[in-house]
Amino acid sequence: MRIICPIKRVPDTAADKKIDATDNTVDRDGSEPVLNANDEWSIEEAMRIKERDGAEVIVLCMGPEAAQTTIRKALSYGLDGAIHVNDEGVAGSDAVGTARVLAAALADEEFDLIIMGNQSSDARTMLVPAMLAEFLDLPALTYAKKLDVADGTATVQREMPSGHQVVEAPLPAVVSVVEAINEPRYPSFKGIMAAKSKPVATPDLAALGVDAGEVGLGGAWTQVDEITPKPPKEAGEKVSDDGSGNLGAQAVAEFLTKQKLL
Amino acid sequence: MDFDFTDEQYALRDAARDFFAGECPPSRVRARWDGDDHDEQLWRSMAETGFIGLTVPTEHGGLGLGDVDLTLLLHEAGRAVVPAPLLETTAIAAPLLVEAGTDQQRQAWLPRITAGEAVVTVQLDGAPFVVDADVAQLLLLERDGQLHAVPRELFQATRQPSLDGARRVFTVEAETGDDTRMAGGPQAAAKAFDRGAAGTAAILNGLSERLLEMTVAYVLQREQFGRPVGSFQAVKHKLAETMLLTEPSKAATWYAAYAIACDLDDRSEAASVAKSFATQAAAKASAEALQCHGGIGFTWEHDLHLWLKRGKALESSYGTAAAHRARLAEVVFAS
Repeated sequence: MRIICPIKRVPDTAADKKIDATDNTVDRDGSEPVLNANDEWSIEEAMRIKERDGAEVIVLCMGPEAAQTTIRKALSYGLDGAIHVNDEGVAGSDAVGTARVLAAALADEEFDLIIMGNQSSDARTMLVPAMLAEFLDLPALTYAKKLDVADGTATVQREMPSGHQVVEAPLPAVVSVVEAINEPRYPSFKGIMAAKSKPVATPDLAALGVDAGEVGLGGAWTQVDEITPKPPKEAGEKVSDDGSGNLGAQAVAEFLTKQKLL
Repeated sequence: MDFDFTDEQYALRDAARDFFAGECPPSRVRARWDGDDHDEQLWRSMAETGFIGLTVPTEHGGLGLGDVDLTLLLHEAGRAVVPAPLLETTAIAAPLLVEAGTDQQRQAWLPRITAGEAVVTVQLDGAPFVVDADVAQLLLLERDGQLHAVPRELFQATRQPSLDGARRVFTVEAETGDDTRMAGGPQAAAKAFDRGAAGTAAILNGLSERLLEMTVAYVLQREQFGRPVGSFQAVKHKLAETMLLTEPSKAATWYAAYAIACDLDDRSEAASVAKSFATQAAAKASAEALQCHGGIGFTWEHDLHLWLKRGKALESSYGTAAAHRARLAEVVFAS
């Protein structure tokens, strides 16, 4: 079995995101870049399949030269190799552009599964897995909180607001995973030391046959016109109860009802 | 010459920090204070990650890394006040078995260290106490200039009162003989002592760094007279002065690790500089942390004391600052 794990290099999840005022994109030099947290779940899921059934797991990432550190981090979990679409031209790509590049990178690759985080912690569009599946003409099993792979079929529990659906598809397929799927491991020291010797292919857009005009900020179908910081938190509503009746409890219940929480 | 650590060494450090942040929060240190036994689960997961066998040669399943790689990780262990004998087993005992053990001792113990199956502790000449002797499967003991590897059934451990409830100390009575004798002698023991001193310095540096961070965070949050107390000169100067000690202490410790790894002529001097400097820096960091935290820092509920007590306990471990300065003076004035 061969599994592809697309990953993304994102600004530190805990840091305040900064926006580049010139083009309204995320300022990627504004904070320490890290591996997208959701991708740790997809890597963990791929590693579990590798350990159980045997598989070759390949990281796929697009980004500048500096993305190498994120790729090495991903490889330190025990993955086998990486494809790094190393091209400054991908900067500013929207979801369509990203899916287009990832699909092009996989056009000549053989694989059985693509497992990826359901969203990136910076853009949070949740669109790329489905778009990638569309470009590759593969079934998409999204929001998986449980994944089983057997007899050429992937079966997932798809997280829903009120429970889950069970959905299956023949391989090859694209699976996007949510936090509930597993508890990611820590990379072992052995894995960290082995990461530097794992093979990393570094095609650029031209090598993949991608028209540079279709990706990057210039090729994006969507455009951020304006950004407004979220308003500061407003003061809460105070409920006082002098203890003589159930006034406090009643007021709290009414408040929760108004918020549609009860 | 580039004396900086490699990207890989920094990656190991970052992984260690993430690991301890997730697996060794203060609650786990407190559990040991509250009477919990040796944290077998933490020890095993440290072994799985590769910590415990870091200095064990690859032919015995370890990572085959050395003192320089380890120093950053001991620093992280100090930051997290890890309640486990990482210094004794990984920094001192494993290299001592490699350098001074018999083939049989190496083959018997090094793979078990790597797997997290054996805690190995150490008592060098002059040290009154042995850390975690109750859970150690093996004691490496220096007695009358001779090194012995004493298995569990041949030594008795008696717990002694300790300042730090998460680092238990014992006196031991051991039966030594030809069967326990190691191949190496006083030179190997002297190197083990330097490893103990430089390793303790690394742990103290991590501890000081964390104390300083906690204190800076606190004085930025705690307000008096309508402004954060950290904005007052009397407070910020204390913390700046602390940093003036903690930063060079790191450099001294890193050099000591390098000198030990390369067996340089000034290995022992470097270890003494590191331990005396780190002890002094940790004492300053502890005192100022407690002072700047005010009353809350004295409470049992606040985590600060976990670091303070460890720092105090390590002050005299592998030589006090005064003893190391005296050792240094002997060398400097003799030449």
